[in-house]
Amino acid sequence: MSTAALDFPTLPTPAAAAVCRHCGEPCEAGGVLTARGPFCCAGCEAVFNVLEVHGLSAFYACDVLPGVSQKRGAHLDPGRFAALDDPATAARFLDGQEGGVARVTFSVPGMHCGACVWLLEQIWRVEPSILRAEADLLRRTVRVAFRADRITLRRVAEQLASIGYEPALDAEGAPPRMPAARRRLYLKLAVAGFGAGNIMLFSFPRYLNGGPLDAGFQRLFDGLNIALALPVLLYSASDYFRAAWGSLRTRSISLDVPIALGLTVLFGRSVADIALGRSEGFLDSFTGLVFFLLVGRLVQQQTFDRIAFDRTLRSFFPLSVRVQRNGRIRMVPLEQVRPGDHVVVRPHETLPADAVVLDEGGLVDYALVTGEQEPVAVSRGETVRAGGRAVGRTLQVAVLHEVSHTTLARLWDHPAFAKPKARWLTDVSARFGAWFTVLAVAIALGGAVAWWPDVDMSVQVATAVLIIACPCALTLAAPVTLGTAMGMLGRAGLYLKHSAIVLDISRVDGVVFDKTGTLTTAAAELRAEPVGLDLEAWELARAVAGESVHPVSRAIAHASGPSRAGTSQVRAESAIEVPGEGITGMVGGHTVRIGTAGFAGSPGPPPDGAGVRAGVSVDGRFRGWVSVSARVRPGLDAAVASLSRTRQVALASGDRDRDAGRWRPLFGDRMWFRQSPEEKLALVRAGQAAGGRVLMVGDGLNDAGALAAADVGIAVSDETACVVPACDAVLRGDRVAHLPGYLDYASRARSVIVLCFLISIVYNALGLSFAVMGLLTPLVTAILMPVSSLTVMGTAAGLMRWYARRMLPV
Amino acid sequence: MTIVMLLIAAGGLVAGGFLVAFAWAVHTGQFDDTCTPAIRVLLDEPGSPSDRHSEDAAHGDDRS
Repeated sequence: MSTAALDFPTLPTPAAAAVCRHCGEPCEAGGVLTARGPFCCAGCEAVFNVLEVHGLSAFYACDVLPGVSQKRGAHLDPGRFAALDDPATAARFLDGQEGGVARVTFSVPGMHCGACVWLLEQIWRVEPSILRAEADLLRRTVRVAFRADRITLRRVAEQLASIGYEPALDAEGAPPRMPAARRRLYLKLAVAGFGAGNIMLFSFPRYLNGGPLDAGFQRLFDGLNIALALPVLLYSASDYFRAAWGSLRTRSISLDVPIALGLTVLFGRSVADIALGRSEGFLDSFTGLVFFLLVGRLVQQQTFDRIAFDRTLRSFFPLSVRVQRNGRIRMVPLEQVRPGDHVVVRPHETLPADAVVLDEGGLVDYALVTGEQEPVAVSRGETVRAGGRAVGRTLQVAVLHEVSHTTLARLWDHPAFAKPKARWLTDVSARFGAWFTVLAVAIALGGAVAWWPDVDMSVQVATAVLIIACPCALTLAAPVTLGTAMGMLGRAGLYLKHSAIVLDISRVDGVVFDKTGTLTTAAAELRAEPVGLDLEAWELARAVAGESVHPVSRAIAHASGPSRAGTSQVRAESAIEVPGEGITGMVGGHTVRIGTAGFAGSPGPPPDGAGVRAGVSVDGRFRGWVSVSARVRPGLDAAVASLSRTRQVALASGDRDRDAGRWRPLFGDRMWFRQSPEEKLALVRAGQAAGGRVLMVGDGLNDAGALAAADVGIAVSDETACVVPACDAVLRGDRVAHLPGYLDYASRARSVIVLCFLISIVYNALGLSFAVMGLLTPLVTAILMPVSSLTVMGTAAGLMRWYARRMLPV
Repeated sequence: MTIVMLLIAAGGLVAGGFLVAFAWAVHTGQFDDTCTPAIRVLLDEPGSPSDRHSEDAAHGDDRS
């Protein structure tokens, strides 16, 4: 077990091989080395201590290094849950309260494994006023019951954060819940299964007897069968009749129409046969059919439930903001912010709306809006845009618009988001449905004509054809294949919004990549390297940079570059940040300046190459450069190269073209830099206008328009918690290099559906030949229908699982 | 004939009972999360078997 292997007190080389005892991430220079083992950051160590104090160390035995990395949380404000003290906000999270015990449901995006479930449900050991916690791994929520008379809701949230699970307090409030339709589907399935099982019981005597039973029994069994089949017709199958009716009203014929037609004829003919005493009817086939259809639908919905990331733009914004009114600062919920309000935005907080800077200014980072990761200097009277984040120091701003009228909201209101995309499957289903219905009715009429003078036989043959032509296996093929594919893709790190997207992915012939956060890791994980800088100056620079929260400084401070043994304890005595220029500080009696060429007193311009260059000077003498760049995701070059063999690939970045050379071998001339969100959207549109089906891979809002307009928009996210509106799928950041595998898998899904269509057509042809000859007895139907449904479901699910094992990453 | 009627009635009662029980289970949310319980049973309570006993007694009614 790897925890045991890491149990020695100190490690010889802290930088290289050590992994965090809590979360298993590599410990880089920012790591903490303790007697109990290495930690990647102080946050992880804190969580480890909390667990140890409360006797919860067994957490580490549940799984291999199961913790959630706390690196990102390092800068979080301890007062971030203050909004929960506001009763109106708290009410959005609370489920109910009785007798001093309140229940709350939090969305906990960090939950990812069985050990997380275990730890969250043990939280009552950490905080005795929490009575019980129940985790839901699929929806990533935790329901907590606590003594509201002893602790506040805010304290509950803080306790969850203290064991490493930060509750998400986005503006949407409550986490996703079980939709009522799902519960109804279970009930419909139960009723259908109840009917099918019991009807089969009452039908067996006659099948085994080989002919009619004695009159009394037969009447009894027939009556019971009809009584059992009625709720199946009226309740369980009601969705199909409703869907067919809806489709007929819009003058289109979906596959629901022949199903509804088949079910109606099946039930009608059975009742007629029973009434005329001709046979025992097809009620067992009827109920069995409805049961299988509903099973297919459940498979589809279960995978659909797996992720509910369909949130809105407001999820990105702070829940409440600090507003200064009459000299006092108050927390005000987002929707109550009015134009003219004086808002205090602290470092790392997001600007809730377009605003004007009131104080001397500072730095704002627009990574969320434009993808540009370097902060921009703003000064008094300048307009700052919504979605920007304050960097380094607090900003005082006056809000210009209400939240809904900001730049981001305008982008969000773009028609591209509102228009639902026409899906290939619905097209095919509609075309197939029409074709199928016409053919079935034609064969039924043909059969009736062939038997004509014999009216009785004509009716029997015509209804038999309509029964057997019911495309049940056909309708099962797509949902089971796509549902299984979606589940497998989800397990491999690509989460689809709904299963039909598998087909859209399979038809893609052009891929457009965003750069920051997609090809490279997110801005939070910049990498710093010394360029022509001696070791002493590098150590001093890292010490000074450690005093700043600027992303570039943080990258320098946490860099895993060369280091001399024993110097890592060097700390800066003082540091002053000069917005837009750099940082200067004192270390061990030396004055160190890091920043732009002018700030550091460089004799010449920075050397060429990717990323940002920061100059370093010590005691007024220029010493060299530090290069700070986002890390290219491993394995990416091979992935893009493999994609470009079968599809066109392009790069659209919001960044400057500093590192164009890095990407030229992969993308050739198909690279565009300094692209605004609108330009990215136009690029995708141009690709579609040229007849292509475009897959856009981006990281969020700055390409939200392009993600929505593309045939498939995949948002890359290093935290699944980070919600991107308007995309079709979310891809885990560390799985971007597997993109070709996902595309190939999606193509296989299409072949499997075609194969299943062929299988079900063979069964239908077989059944039709019986029907036309007038030989379709209830017994033949009772065998043929479930067998065809089961073969199709088994083939679809089996093949997709088999391909998943061979083609998808684990 | 009578015995068959009786058997049918008994069978229907049992099957119907299960149907009602299932409907109740769905209604009270027992099918809302079909994934986590499968994981939960594999995880142990912390502490040794002896102090697990006392803790269960202390928290038993809260954590039903």
